Amino acid sequence: MIVTLHLIVLALYGLATALVLAPFMGLRAAPRALAIALPCAGAAVHVVAISQLTLVGLGPALSMLALCLVLLQLASERLLRGSAVSFFAAPLATGLVGLAILSGLAPGAEAAAARNMWFVLHVALSVLGLALMALAFIAAALYLLQFRELKARRFGQVFQLFPPLERLDQLNRFALVAGFPALTLGVLLALGYGAEFSGGLHVAKAQVVWGIFTWVVLGWAVWVRVVRHWAGRRAALASIAGFGAVLLVYVALKLTQPGAERFL
Amino acid sequence: MTGQTDMAGGGGIKVVGVNHRTAPLDVRERFAHGAHEVPRALARVMAAGASGGVLLSTCNRTEFYLVADDEPALEAVWSLLGERLPGASAGGAREYGYIARDRDAVRHLYRVSSGLDSMILGESQIQGQVREAWEASRAQAGPVLHRLFQTALHVGSRVRTETGLGMGTASAASAGVAVAGKIFGDLAGRSALILGAGDMAELAATCLNDEGVQITLVANRTPERARAIAERLGARAVSLDEAWPHFATTDIAICSTAAPHAVVTWERVGGVIGGGARRGRPLCILDLAVPRDVDPALAQLESVFLYDVDDLQTVAAHATARRRDEIPAAERIVEEETDLFWAWYGGLGVVPTIKELRQRMDDLRAHELERALRQLGHLSPEDRARVEQFSEALLNKFLHHPTVALKTAAEAGRGYGLLEAMRRLFGMEPPA
Repeated sequence: MIVTLHLIVLALYGLATALVLAPFMGLRAAPRALAIALPCAGAAVHVVAISQLTLVGLGPALSMLALCLVLLQLASERLLRGSAVSFFAAPLATGLVGLAILSGLAPGAEAAAARNMWFVLHVALSVLGLALMALAFIAAALYLLQFRELKARRFGQVFQLFPPLERLDQLNRFALVAGFPALTLGVLLALGYGAEFSGGLHVAKAQVVWGIFTWVVLGWAVWVRVVRHWAGRRAALASIAGFGAVLLVYVALKLTQPGAERFL
Repeated sequence: MTGQTDMAGGGGIKVVGVNHRTAPLDVRERFAHGAHEVPRALARVMAAGASGGVLLSTCNRTEFYLVADDEPALEAVWSLLGERLPGASAGGAREYGYIARDRDAVRHLYRVSSGLDSMILGESQIQGQVREAWEASRAQAGPVLHRLFQTALHVGSRVRTETGLGMGTASAASAGVAVAGKIFGDLAGRSALILGAGDMAELAATCLNDEGVQITLVANRTPERARAIAERLGARAVSLDEAWPHFATTDIAICSTAAPHAVVTWERVGGVIGGGARRGRPLCILDLAVPRDVDPALAQLESVFLYDVDDLQTVAAHATARRRDEIPAAERIVEEETDLFWAWYGGLGVVPTIKELRQRMDDLRAHELERALRQLGHLSPEDRARVEQFSEALLNKFLHHPTVALKTAAEAGRGYGLLEAMRRLFGMEPPA
């Protein structure tokens, strides 16, 4: 049932991706109502699927991340009055759901932990923090693309379809500033859970290293934006570098800590 | 563009020039004539044989509308434009240009004034530019071009009110607003300064003002004009030199001076923009002037987004997609009005002139007949009647060929020159 629901989600997200990317392939843009209805329908089915899922292991975490991303995409599109975020978010969410299905949606060895509220909150807040970091990355990537087109005086699809630079910069800032407390809480809950229920769960060193590294990177990105007043292109590059570093470290750790069903 | 052969006398209507389709911006910049250059340029072409001339010089076109024979007036235009090219050759200018004659020339101007020939289809600014060109050349225009430009403005208005060719925002000024919007998002509360006090700058500033942009400064070489615009926009008028430090704080700069070279240079504002005061905040510079006002090197600064007229017209061109559907209706109006003008031009005063000529000749005949009959008092009434019939027949014979020739030329749309010649020959007032 969970896999079937995820396959439906995958189909809906995949269709939404095809629709948003159509103008870049020289096809007619889909009606806006349809471009919103498809990810909305996908997210609704996704919520049902997640509610039946035990939030432990790689597959469930990726699925949860995809849902957060789609919900953030829908919210930011309302904020930006355009569908630009979906150019990145829709294929990314589709890919994440596909990976989740491939890596298995059954809970890992620590299924018992999923019954603990500390653990569930830790996963939920950490995934939300990561999704916001991904959103900051998407806003930064859109910013750099639009920036390049505006500087090069090209007035094609990117100029027409992407939001104004200032709004993308605001979205990047908002995503970072909102993502940092979410991830901080997620890390604190993990520490609290470790202290409260030590011995009940084996926490891999890699998971701790990655979690703290991600928190430090996100903290740095927020610091340069808020304290050092970085903005525009420099801030966008910092967001992309930070997100890229987090992904690279995850992949490196994942390669040294094999196990398809484990998050790390 | 082809046309009919010229008529006798003052020559046919011609348009000779370059536009955005035939010449790139850097060539058009060289050919552009400021208002102060118009009288001298026209005087030179008219000295070469044109009997009337209007010079329409905008950022998209430099066109001489002439009543002239093909040569040497047209050669004078090519030579005048060619002197502005590196290497200074008439042949060089001809490479970028075109000539339209008679009916095609009329249609051309009507298409220009209605925005059908604009880079931005249906843009309305050209209407004002046609009016300004006509007014600047009024002394040299002559009756035919006077009428042509008057009707061209009427055609422009008709097209804009009777078709949807002017729908949406498709002028360079509104494109400037669209580009600024892509940088800043919401424009309300942003600040802008204006360099130059021309209509183009004022139009762009008004468009930005409508979006909530605060126009802070209007800088111009002539303070009076700057003050007038500043007053309308709620801004402060300053000299150009006083404006440079304000590049450190403004969000948008509109440049549209009539300077023949760049005035916003790296030396003047590079340090101000690149300095710490802006903290990397974007600066959108809309260079609406031809020749360009802004040194293109300034675009190398990361925070500077510099757009010239060609860029803005590219943006606005997207808006033309919807206007394209209106082209057939607009072309119908242009064709209809061209027919009307051509009928006027062809038959310009022919009937009244023929009547006037006959009347003059008849008065002359009656006067001479009376004098002759006074000396021939011995003639019987029958003989007197026979002499009178003879004088009338002779007059009819004399006038038959000129009348037929004039009517034929009028029907072929070539009556004006012949008419003018006839009026001169027979000592009548020139046509109004």
